Amino acid sequence: MDERAPSEAVIEIENLVAHYGDRQILNGVSLTVEKGEIMVIMGGSGSGKSTLLRHLLGLKKPTSGSIRLLGKDITKISKKEIYQLRRDMGVAFQGGALFGSMTVGENVQLPLREHTKLDEKTMQIMARMKLEVMNLAGFEDLMPSELSGGMVKRAALARAVIMDPKLLFFDEPSAGLDPVVSAELDELILRLRNAMNMTIVVVTHELESAFKIADRITMLDLGNILITDTVENVRNSDIERVQNMLNRRPREVDVDTEAYLRRLTGQKH
Amino acid sequence: MESNVSTEGPFTVIALAGEVDLYYSPKAREQILSYLNKQKNVLVDLSKVAYIDSSGVASLVEGYQLARSKKLQFGLVGVSQPALQVLQLARLDKVFPIHGSVAELIDNK
Amino acid sequence: MHLRAFVDNIGRRTLNGIAELGYASLLFVECVYWLGAGKFRSQPVRLAAIFRETMNIGVRAIPIASMLCFAVGVMLAIQGIETLKTYGAESKVVIGIALSVTREFSPLIVSILVAGRSGSAIAARIGTMLESQEVDALRVIGINPVRYLAAPLFLGMVIAVPTLTILGDLMGILGGAVYSALELKISLSVYIDQTLASLTVDDIQQGLIKSLVFAVIIVVVGLSNGFQVRGGAEGVGHATTRSVVLSISFIVLADMIFTYLLNR
Repeated sequence: MDERAPSEAVIEIENLVAHYGDRQILNGVSLTVEKGEIMVIMGGSGSGKSTLLRHLLGLKKPTSGSIRLLGKDITKISKKEIYQLRRDMGVAFQGGALFGSMTVGENVQLPLREHTKLDEKTMQIMARMKLEVMNLAGFEDLMPSELSGGMVKRAALARAVIMDPKLLFFDEPSAGLDPVVSAELDELILRLRNAMNMTIVVVTHELESAFKIADRITMLDLGNILITDTVENVRNSDIERVQNMLNRRPREVDVDTEAYLRRLTGQKH
Repeated sequence: MESNVSTEGPFTVIALAGEVDLYYSPKAREQILSYLNKQKNVLVDLSKVAYIDSSGVASLVEGYQLARSKKLQFGLVGVSQPALQVLQLARLDKVFPIHGSVAELIDNK
Repeated sequence: MHLRAFVDNIGRRTLNGIAELGYASLLFVECVYWLGAGKFRSQPVRLAAIFRETMNIGVRAIPIASMLCFAVGVMLAIQGIETLKTYGAESKVVIGIALSVTREFSPLIVSILVAGRSGSAIAARIGTMLESQEVDALRVIGINPVRYLAAPLFLGMVIAVPTLTILGDLMGILGGAVYSALELKISLSVYIDQTLASLTVDDIQQGLIKSLVFAVIIVVVGLSNGFQVRGGAEGVGHATTRSVVLSISFIVLADMIFTYLLNR
């Protein structure tokens, strides 16, 4: 059993189509993430990257297509199997999503309490260890509202990895943080992967952070994948929309005169 | 997975093997703490450990703390690469007494 | 054209209403399910959480609920004596107060108070947690949000409101007694004796059944508004207001229906 066997897919998304209400958000997305890989999913707002993440987390049912996590198709398996699978998944949300009624330490311990019957002391040590890793030693008795933005994200990351998941999702690690703090988080993500051989999916719109941590980058645009490739190849891509995104150029909107006039005058047909 | 316990010189050596995860580590913890409570000097052999998670490391931490309070010796021997990486992540490689092998430790006395 | 839009609008509102009713019923069923079956699926509803919610909804409302019910008792005494004077039957006020407090006013006043106090808080709390992705965080950890957040509130409410209603019964009667004692010069002990003589178990029970139904209304309306929050802080505010207005309206309507059914 070789832990680092090449091309062992941990995430396989096939032809994923998703709607929000009547609007189609993802138009048949396919993507594979290898074990131990850091995959960064990029895209502007409205690109569908948040929707893709929600589907990966099993928070939404897709219209069609399949999502295999650690070999299990989460669109098909039973609730019980999803519950089992969640032990191997960690998620750090954009705003941290720490529970305001619990201390930082209780927040970090919560997954252990729900999923294991470990000794109280073991759980406490585990939580403190994770807080140490995140440079949050001594903050366990504070309430989330007493933490700064960067600290909240690190505490959320500590909670996400408390069960030593095989698969970690991180939504917008840099959003709302100053460059120094966000660089620290990038460093933490790399350390986690190297020490635990975790597979990590990061959703972000920050180019700098993406280039620093990614093994491969996927760029989404209007619900389609523009490119999935190594950092180097993404940088050198000759796809125009990719270069536009890298250079932060606004997209050219095609004008369909007829449709545009109808929209402006409010006529439906 | 069962851990192998032997006595070498002044030490009780507990050899953990395989994957020290959420299922295995409560047993390992129980074992380590019970030998310490019997006033034994404990070495934990990690050479056959393919993977150790934080619950396993937490058990080692608890053991070390108990040994210190009882003024007993405690150490890790033959720390495997995967185990070392996990210890390093939490900077615990600088905390635990880590030895190459049991023989080495006894010779140096 | 306008008529069509009008009919269209009515149709859509009806559909939304039915959808919401369905959602609320589902929540109700789920709460009961987790309270009953949670421990068999190794996801029990924690006792500490139930206790905390009962504390928040019930115990903290004791002073204000007592005060309101006392005031209602006094009010009923004033009106009752005034009305009955015309027939020279002032002393009959005792039975009037006893019946209207236990059957009607205590459950109603307590429920409206709790709807304003806790129903809104439930919607606000759930809505805020939804917006800050805390509900998502629960789900990805593998914790069912209904079990973890809703079920303790549900049980807490179902315990707290009837208990407060019993307290309200006592305070209402006491209010009536104090005023009548001053106005009609009957002693408190005589008043209490007369009250006890005129009340049957059925009267108290009627009030308690009502209060149980009102409790379910408050908690389910609060929860379903909370879980359906969209659109940030404004959405939370909207849901809060809506849950209070809706639960008070439903309480009054349910009260009417129940009073009719229970007194036939």
